[in-house]
Amino acid sequence: MMMEYFSNLEAGLQAAINDGNASPRKHYALEVARLGKRLYSGQDKVAWCGITAPFDLLGTMGVTSCFVEFIGAMVASTGTAGTFLEEADHIGYSSDACSYHRAVSGAAIKGLMPAPAFLIGTTNPCSGGLAVLENLAAQFRKKLFVLHIPQDESGGNVAYLADQMRDMAGFVSDLTGVSLDTGRLKEAIGHTNAARHVMNEVYDLAKTVPSPVTNRDLSNFGIVMALFLGTEASVRVAKAYRDEFARRIRESSANGSNEKFRLLWIQNRVQFKNPIEKHLAESCQATIVVDELNDINWAPIDPDNIFEGLARRSISIPFNGTIRNRVKHLQKLAMDYKVDGAINPCNWGCRQGTGARGLIDEGLRAIGVPVLNLEMDCVDSRKFTEGQFLTRIEAFVEMMDSRKA
Amino acid sequence: MGKSNVIGFACAYTPLALIHASGFMPCRILPVEDCPDQAAQLLHDNLCPHVKRLLDRAMSGNLPELAGMIFMNSCDAMRRLYDAWQIVRPGDKAILVDLPVTASESAVGFFCAELKRVAGVLETWGGTAITRDKLAGSIRLYNQLAENFSKLRQAVQNGGINNGPVVLQEACNMASCEAPEKAVGQLEALLADTGVMQPDDGVPVYLFGNMLPEPAAFALFEACGARIIGEDLCTGSRLFKAIEADKDGDIFLDLAAGILRGRPCARTFEGSQPGRLAGDIVEEAKKQQARGVIGYTVKFCDPYIARLPNIREALKNGGIPFLFLEGDCTMRSVEQQKTRIEAFIEMLR
Ligand code: SF4
Ligand code: SF4
Repeated sequence: MMMEYFSNLEAGLQAAINDGNASPRKHYALEVARLGKRLYSGQDKVAWCGITAPFDLLGTMGVTSCFVEFIGAMVASTGTAGTFLEEADHIGYSSDACSYHRAVSGAAIKGLMPAPAFLIGTTNPCSGGLAVLENLAAQFRKKLFVLHIPQDESGGNVAYLADQMRDMAGFVSDLTGVSLDTGRLKEAIGHTNAARHVMNEVYDLAKTVPSPVTNRDLSNFGIVMALFLGTEASVRVAKAYRDEFARRIRESSANGSNEKFRLLWIQNRVQFKNPIEKHLAESCQATIVVDELNDINWAPIDPDNIFEGLARRSISIPFNGTIRNRVKHLQKLAMDYKVDGAINPCNWGCRQGTGARGLIDEGLRAIGVPVLNLEMDCVDSRKFTEGQFLTRIEAFVEMMDSRKA
Repeated sequence: MGKSNVIGFACAYTPLALIHASGFMPCRILPVEDCPDQAAQLLHDNLCPHVKRLLDRAMSGNLPELAGMIFMNSCDAMRRLYDAWQIVRPGDKAILVDLPVTASESAVGFFCAELKRVAGVLETWGGTAITRDKLAGSIRLYNQLAENFSKLRQAVQNGGINNGPVVLQEACNMASCEAPEKAVGQLEALLADTGVMQPDDGVPVYLFGNMLPEPAAFALFEACGARIIGEDLCTGSRLFKAIEADKDGDIFLDLAAGILRGRPCARTFEGSQPGRLAGDIVEEAKKQQARGVIGYTVKFCDPYIARLPNIREALKNGGIPFLFLEGDCTMRSVEQQKTRIEAFIEMLR
């Protein structure tokens, strides 16, 4: 069923692009479809991973790897999360847990998750994510390698994680029979660095006032692009965005823009179909100019010290460490992008992010950025009360308006 | 050293011997006092009541005078508590100690380096320099405490102490808040007082979970007809464990290995044996000849939430009846489940 879904998606997107109906989002979605196809092909060696795993390294070793939350987001976007969440309820997985992880667990029970060759857990960003990987390893009876991502780069932390990643490569090699080819790894890291460079250009363009970004363009972009790093496709997708944004900036200086409010979106988007982004654009003239995870916080990876570079990259995710790091990063984004306000969709089961709601509020308020906290479930559409959310958004926009006046 | 020599802590993975070796006294901050509910100003309602109640205590100033606080990075919630603590008590010295989730060789090496960092920090907080001898002495002292606890547990099993489980929990709470020298002495006094009696006729039950520091909860289990013949709780047997220190090796490494390789709670596991916790609980319950198992965890605890389905299934497959209780670190929440506990015990008879 999933194979068919992704094949159709790929074919449809490819046809649209071939017909001259391309957009950066279509290029991005095409890669998502291709990844989905590889995951469900039954041909590839698959690894289920945590969010901060080095996907480019795994790709070099012939492994199709993906963070498990991708499946949670996918079933939400296809409107089928409810069935899987119910399955998780059925086995006694408390509904107080993150719904990404509950959906993944339900999907695994229902046979919707392809059996992996192995799993790579990461201690960051959340305790729940690592726990679900342990459960999947037990369920699939496959080996689990755990990467302990230290909280920061101090002391010997980078070397410690780099060594774990070396061990991980050995673990993968033992299980797959494929040893790490240094030449191929260097080539992949070349693509990673190239994509990084172009993604930075994309983000810089997005900072322009008015911004060339629409509310949908960069939804989930940063976090999902991590899955394509190390490939030419990642560079291609990033370039498609860069060129399109550059074009829009040229045109908007000629034609004007109706952007009135600039918004920062905290953590992840709402994964099921919902009218929030459209409503913000059409009724509120509000543009989500930046998402928290749409940023590059790591230096280019030195081809002569690849593991250290990969380690630094995994440590650099803003969700890592104390909330002070995260707030500092949010404050920087808010200022760089000149935002008028921030929206924080507080996913009910997320201790890592939602748990820090009050602390994030304080940090952004300190630099004069108001935050709208939307208490919600980002995966379970059954709990979404559209009217209520839109009313709260409108009130928030009015408040921003009065501040501007 | 300043006015206070007390270092607060909140997690069973805290290196108590290290704190003691620096001349400080570790004191567990338990989620027990009745303080106004204020934590929600900074921490979301979806965080576990353990950390919220600790923050309530901090916000109400309901704490012993502290020279500093040591937080272990055991889970997302504990990390958020560390963050919030700095806001509500900016004057407190506080450190967040990273805690690996596995006990692999490299994880133990990392944790060893973390413990050395803690030693340095304790010194800057006014502690004395930690020498090998001092640390070895503190480890011996805590080992003595662990041994006394094993004996006390045994005495409780044998019915040698009146109101045994309640006394045991009171002793645990006392030992986690008092100097180990004093705790060792108090336990010895208790042990000297044990008699030889028949264990009561309660139904043997094994208990696991996280935060259950209320002695009254153990009285309630007894009143419902249960005899707790073994437990694996953060506020119980998991706190004081013997640590083997090699005479010649790096003693910090021994301490790190001892802490990480003790009986794991839900947040610690082995990649090579995923789901092991469930098997361990079944094995322990069988070994102790429990007729049933009670799991008690506080709400919103991700490490346990995620493992419970497997635990439930393993117990079912092992033919061991299971009662799961979820609480909020108050006696009230345990009492509300009295009827369920009674019915469970009745079913086991
Ligand atoms: S929403 Fe929070 S708990 Fe869920 S996967 Fe993301 S970081 Fe983890
Ligand atoms: S009770 Fe659970 S969630 Fe709370 S601090 Fe302990 S391990 Fe973390």
